[in-house]
Amino acid sequence: MRVQVNARNRAYEFEAEPGEKLLFAGLRAHIDLPYECATGTCGTCKARLVEGRVDDAWPGAGGKKYLKGAGEFLMCQCAPAGDVVAEVASFVYATDPGTCPAHAVGGALGSVRRLTADVAAFDVELDQPTDFDAGQFMAIAVPGVAGFRGYSMVNFARQTRRLEFVVKKKPGGGVSEWLFGPAAAGARLTLFGPLGKATFHPSLAKNVLCIAGGSGIAGMMSILARATQEGYFGQHRGHVFFGVRTYADAFFLDELARLRASCPDALQVTVALSDEDVPASAAARHPQLAFARGLVHEVAKLAMQGKYQNVRAYLAGPPPAVDASIRFLLLEARLTADNIRYDKFS
Amino acid sequence: MAKKFVCRTSDVPANGMKECAAEDGLKLVVANSGSEYFAFQAICPHQEVPLCEGLYDGSVVTCHMHLWQWDVRTGAPIGLAEAPLERYDLSVEGDSIYVQSKSAIDVGTLFAGASEATLAKLAGLARRETYPTGAVVYRVGDPADDFFVLDSGRVEFQIGRDERTSPAGFMLRKGEVFGWAALLEGHPRRIANARALEEAALLRINGGEALRVLEADPQSGFLVMQRLSALIARYLAEPGAK
Repeated sequence: MRVQVNARNRAYEFEAEPGEKLLFAGLRAHIDLPYECATGTCGTCKARLVEGRVDDAWPGAGGKKYLKGAGEFLMCQCAPAGDVVAEVASFVYATDPGTCPAHAVGGALGSVRRLTADVAAFDVELDQPTDFDAGQFMAIAVPGVAGFRGYSMVNFARQTRRLEFVVKKKPGGGVSEWLFGPAAAGARLTLFGPLGKATFHPSLAKNVLCIAGGSGIAGMMSILARATQEGYFGQHRGHVFFGVRTYADAFFLDELARLRASCPDALQVTVALSDEDVPASAAARHPQLAFARGLVHEVAKLAMQGKYQNVRAYLAGPPPAVDASIRFLLLEARLTADNIRYDKFS
Repeated sequence: MAKKFVCRTSDVPANGMKECAAEDGLKLVVANSGSEYFAFQAICPHQEVPLCEGLYDGSVVTCHMHLWQWDVRTGAPIGLAEAPLERYDLSVEGDSIYVQSKSAIDVGTLFAGASEATLAKLAGLARRETYPTGAVVYRVGDPADDFFVLDSGRVEFQIGRDERTSPAGFMLRKGEVFGWAALLEGHPRRIANARALEEAALLRINGGEALRVLEADPQSGFLVMQRLSALIARYLAEPGAK
């Protein structure tokens, strides 16, 4: 189907496959259509239908509360039902030639490994190799569950067929219930990506601050993997704050300790426990890591005082934690908005 | 334009902001820098999120949704923001705060930060025109003598001629400037057709006369030319250049 998107600065034309979401078709055509979660929760991809019809794959999408006017729809949920003309009230440009191209790809579920009571690691073997930037995510659809959900890659590699993710069990969450329940190795998945602008590239040449709540640590692991692969912390400092409720909820501690051990002077990793005092055994088991009691953004704020020179911050996790971090980074640390990177998943 | 009562000074905490409704129902935000009050549009021009839910540090307001920011004094966008913030002239009498709507020239990004005297002279040059839905503002190839500031409504651009036209963008925010070829040396001819999509009120300003006003105030003039360059760059940007 022919799709035309009228933006504030110019119009774009591209083709969409039958059933393909407008947003994905546009990104595939190297057009940087506006989006953030790409999975129906944030409302950023809203567009107004000018001509033609679209089919809405998820009428109950949370992001629809951001639709105000007649004819508005979410580009990440709707596929053209014929040729379509839509309008977005943003300036839209072609995607940066340096970004990894987004594409649809099939894959097979590998293993699902429990890490804590409600967090599991899973991996996917793609049908073809892909490239992504550290900090990006894939939109993943699983059998029997409508729609895509976003999961950040935990690993980092070039031209890889293996992607690693973590998932937190969400009550009523279709994909997480499938992964924690009936999912079996070999199950066929549909993926689209890589997506997301909260990316790290070694050319950044700034100090790095990561503040992650819960499963938000996923993308940070990819960033740290990329950075340490390139010896990045030989020239720059890294501070990582990982917030969980209790010590039993923490995961990836061995991996984080290993990353720190490779550059102990420049990289600091702190695990923040919000609901309990730090057990004495924690420091003994993980001498490379620091532990603190408190909400992750408060622990980060206290520890980072005076250390904001030339910093880029990466944030991920439940929206209240991300919002609280944004608040202190803008108002107190005085970071500029373009040095605060996050993907907002409601 | 008449002053409208908004709220009491005690309603707005220092380094804070509050969404208020002026006596005619106009929704706006009043911010208190500690020593001064400022008033601006209540809703973010990006995705219509209430700005009172965002952050204010005494000089910069940030929308919490996508971190668009503005200088509350001038309404000029900072960092990621792609549209100006409409501000209102605010006066304090006793413990009461009043606002007055500003003209499109004062609202627009192009002239934000220019001196009061220069803004007044530019406003003096402006002729207000209304265009019914569908009316043509100018066509490709027309001489570009005047530029336009959008006051209300919507203007759409098309490249090409007759039936063979294709969309080339649109404007819908009070204060947006188009037809800026009139401000360039040699006045190139129009490269697009401009048409009112909804009934539009525009301020038409002669390019040559505006340039003479700016020449007489080089500080403001330089600022405006800098903004003009940024404006042109946004429309002609290479990927990643924004």
